[in-house]
Amino acid sequence: MIHVYGIVDELQELPPVAGVDGAPLERRRVDGVELVVSDGADTEVTQAAVLRHAEVVEGLMSRSGAVLPAQFGRPFGDDAELEAAIRPKAQKLERGLDRVRGCVEFGLRVAGESPSAASGTEYMQALLAQQRAVEPLERLARAVSANAYLVPVEKVDEFQEAVRRLQADHSELTIVCTGPWPPYSFGVEDA
Amino acid sequence: MSNTALQEQVTLLELVDRVLNKGVVLSGDITLSVADVDLVYVGLRVLLSSVATLEEQNERVLAGRALP
Repeated sequence: MIHVYGIVDELQELPPVAGVDGAPLERRRVDGVELVVSDGADTEVTQAAVLRHAEVVEGLMSRSGAVLPAQFGRPFGDDAELEAAIRPKAQKLERGLDRVRGCVEFGLRVAGESPSAASGTEYMQALLAQQRAVEPLERLARAVSANAYLVPVEKVDEFQEAVRRLQADHSELTIVCTGPWPPYSFGVEDA
Repeated sequence: MSNTALQEQVTLLELVDRVLNKGVVLSGDITLSVADVDLVYVGLRVLLSSVATLEEQNERVLAGRALP
């Protein structure tokens, strides 16, 4: 089975690790789209396999111009299947690479005190207040997905400072910020 | 649970969530069972509600240090 780690652009070299299946990493090119794969046994979903997939993606991130991480658990039987899947999506994948180029992802979870159920209006106001609180972060991001922000590398310090300020200004909220991640949540803009 | 341990656990769960549930979908086949995916989401929910509970107990101690 061919396990795909991601679509890459300007990859300098493969990371010095084996794939999730123990097989070596390999490069494939389909219609100008470059992929990093390993071709071995079918892989079970274990924590070790998930972490290895993530390790490879991180390794690609630091060695290339842009990476679109592939979702785990969707292997291809052979190269013909892989090519058939990539070919119709080639242009879309190129656009996806352009969007994430020069950016990293941050995850943000905001847990507030449960808004009082005293009235529907109060509940909605509390939700809106949480929404307004994160607006400064959205202004720094190139794109926002559910709980994820795509942030240009040169704005990372500013973004992290904005998160600190947000926590300081809203002590009623618990904010957990993770990252920087490869842009897992910004694979391809939906058609 | 110390705050560092909590941050590490959240990070691990966020990572697993990304690898299994995000990323580019290149083919229609899926080998991951729905149960596995649900488990990840349930794990995240439980963990995040424990963040909120801990915060109530520790007041501001946790919140002030929850950032990298």
